[in-house]
Amino acid sequence: MLTRRRFVQTVGIGAAAYIGARGRENAIWSAFETPLQALEPNIICLASNENPLGPGKQVLDAVKAAFGPTGAQPGRYSGAAKDLIDAIAKKQNVKPENIVLGCGSTQILRSATHLFTAKDKPLVGTIPTYEECAGYAQMMGHPVTPVALTGDFKIDLDRFVAASKGAGLVFYCNPNNPTATYVGATATRDYLAQVAKTSPETTVLIDEAYFDYVNDPDHDTHIPVAIDNPRVIVARTFSKAYGMAGLRIGYAVGHKDTIAKMADWDAGAGTSSLNVLAMHAAITAIQRPAAEIADERARNKAVRDYTAKWFTDRGMKPTDSQANFMFVNIGRPAKGFRDACKAKGVLVARDFPPFEKTHCRISFGTMDEMKKATAVFEQVLAKKATAA
Amino acid sequence: MPVSRRGFLQFARPGSEPLAGAFLSARGLEAHFAEAQAQGPRARPLLPPGVDEIRISSNENPLGPGRAALDAILGKFPEANRYPFNSTPSETDLQAAIAAKLKVKPENIVLGAGSQEILKNSMRAFVTPTRGLVTALPTFENCTGYAKKYKLPLTEVKVDSEFRLDVDPMIAAASKGAGLVFFNNPNNPTATVHGVKTVTDMVARIHKASPDTVILIDEAYHDYVTDPSYQTAVPLAMSVPNVIVARTFSKAYGMAGMRIGYAVGTADNVKKLAMLKMPYNVSVFGIGAAIASINDPQHIADERARNTEVRAFTVNALKQMGAKPADSQGNFLFADIGMPAKDFRDACAKQGVMVGRDFPPFEKTHCRISIGTMDEMKKATDVFREVLKAMMSAPAGSGKGK
Repeated sequence: MLTRRRFVQTVGIGAAAYIGARGRENAIWSAFETPLQALEPNIICLASNENPLGPGKQVLDAVKAAFGPTGAQPGRYSGAAKDLIDAIAKKQNVKPENIVLGCGSTQILRSATHLFTAKDKPLVGTIPTYEECAGYAQMMGHPVTPVALTGDFKIDLDRFVAASKGAGLVFYCNPNNPTATYVGATATRDYLAQVAKTSPETTVLIDEAYFDYVNDPDHDTHIPVAIDNPRVIVARTFSKAYGMAGLRIGYAVGHKDTIAKMADWDAGAGTSSLNVLAMHAAITAIQRPAAEIADERARNKAVRDYTAKWFTDRGMKPTDSQANFMFVNIGRPAKGFRDACKAKGVLVARDFPPFEKTHCRISFGTMDEMKKATAVFEQVLAKKATAA
Repeated sequence: MPVSRRGFLQFARPGSEPLAGAFLSARGLEAHFAEAQAQGPRARPLLPPGVDEIRISSNENPLGPGRAALDAILGKFPEANRYPFNSTPSETDLQAAIAAKLKVKPENIVLGAGSQEILKNSMRAFVTPTRGLVTALPTFENCTGYAKKYKLPLTEVKVDSEFRLDVDPMIAAASKGAGLVFFNNPNNPTATVHGVKTVTDMVARIHKASPDTVILIDEAYHDYVTDPSYQTAVPLAMSVPNVIVARTFSKAYGMAGMRIGYAVGTADNVKKLAMLKMPYNVSVFGIGAAIASINDPQHIADERARNTEVRAFTVNALKQMGAKPADSQGNFLFADIGMPAKDFRDACAKQGVMVGRDFPPFEKTHCRISIGTMDEMKKATDVFREVLKAMMSAPAGSGKGK
């Protein structure tokens, strides 16, 4: 039988053997310094709004440390959620009672939809937007009110104010996925104030998943509003700028009564759904210096500017992206474009009705990946689109 | 050699300073829930220098994941940034690997963030205000807790005199049209098991009397059972409508912290749980570790043998002290210690040995003790001996025993 001592002595070698068998040895150990190639070699994944660089060495070191000195700690139920909540509270200048964790922000979105929508209290969201809340509401048999975007693919605040009246939950995804557009902080605050007046029983969930990628000068978090107003919740995630989509950690910030409600519903599958390695990774990640996140924002912006110019130069109009992806009018069905790109090793996103006949969502990889990807786009777009 | 790899080896050197300080205070999940809800300060036993905490309170595997699983987690580092559906292998691959191991189809498997998500979603899917839950007392409380919280009809059937699930009254209660029967086999906290004949007969009788009642058989401790009359209920789940088996990677697979469980059943029943499943509920690390573990069955056989040996030692030691453990088929045991669990627990904690919480209605006499390593159990049984001796020699009515 393998002893723990032997594990300790051989874990590094064992890891290399495992990786070697998968033909990706180089990618593993250079991962800490250079961009990752996580999928099959030579596949460029621009389909899921992931951070191509990953969480960085410090965070991965924290995962190793969480193994414990003999590698036994993943076998223990963990109390690290408390430490993670404390670390997030400190970072966001709120109290621990204002934070609830989720298995990705997915769990936060589902909990909010579960608690605040009902058969007579619809979910309101833009069309298109991130589908988690609407999907859950539909599964529960709760009505969904879709609200069209403005001509420049932003949340239409006038329509939103009207639709919010009597709603159970408004899903306010800002920047909005998949359109990547952003409504400035001032306009959002005005909207929240209006809803508080015209529909005080309505909860607004502001999904700030892409918060760290925004360059708009009128940019701010709505956490302070959420702390004061029990009807406003802010969702955050470690899946985007923090590069931890695979680890599954998100959180909500809000008034303590609202957070208590969410934590209560999730007591069984809430914190119990978070894995110990991810929690330790997140404790380290949330303490990363702001300058590192600013660097990631700047890196993303350079890639975004390059990609936006590439499409604009060819007469294809992207939306004003404030995220790590963009929504671009390619003048042909997304499906044909996607399939053709996939055949050449570049993965772009799924259909987003009602714009699937004209628009495609493209996530930003590294600059190197985008240069390769645009070369593929050039070839694919040079051919006439076949009928959808 | 790259720096990072060397770094890990240095870090992992035996005797090196443990960096994961947070773990030292980490306790069982149950305690964690209470704490997370109360968000109160953590109780940390103050131990004399040189005394390590022995945590035998939460039915964890003291050795953690096997080496293959740990290697797989390291191998997943480059995919930390990828959603589980984009990783290689992906969550679908894990579902397929579990299906292949159990000789069923992927459509017969749904993943959970621990089996707790499976249990909770079973309550959501099958229990209604008119069709309640039938469960045991004491048993794993997740379903019971959900029923109480949301005021759903609940029948708790006390275990029999041998601390086994009392099958006949459970069948009688279920036959009145229960929504769900929770049947924990082996049963936590009593560690007893029912053989395949009893389970098959129970399922047939409930199904005949109340065909719509769903029977959830929680086999969390499956890999630790040594009773030859026991067999998994997976074939039943595949052949009889409305039987679901829950499994977990938290016990013999040593991954309680990774949060991976699953349910096995007919495609129709699994679909109902899949609808409620949180998307991407298993991390890329969990996917890698679980697949690697499935491909390393020898590790589980070794773990079963190790646990069996330590369990026999512990049972024997307790019997010699005059305690009476129920027949254990898990990585824990439920023993009549002749004193309140709380007093025993507190006295043991002072010496760094953490044992299980109260399990009413037996909290005045019984304690649940998880099986650690042989070394841990040698130390722990020394502490038990001392504590039980002190208690027996204490004058009656001295107040110490509450």
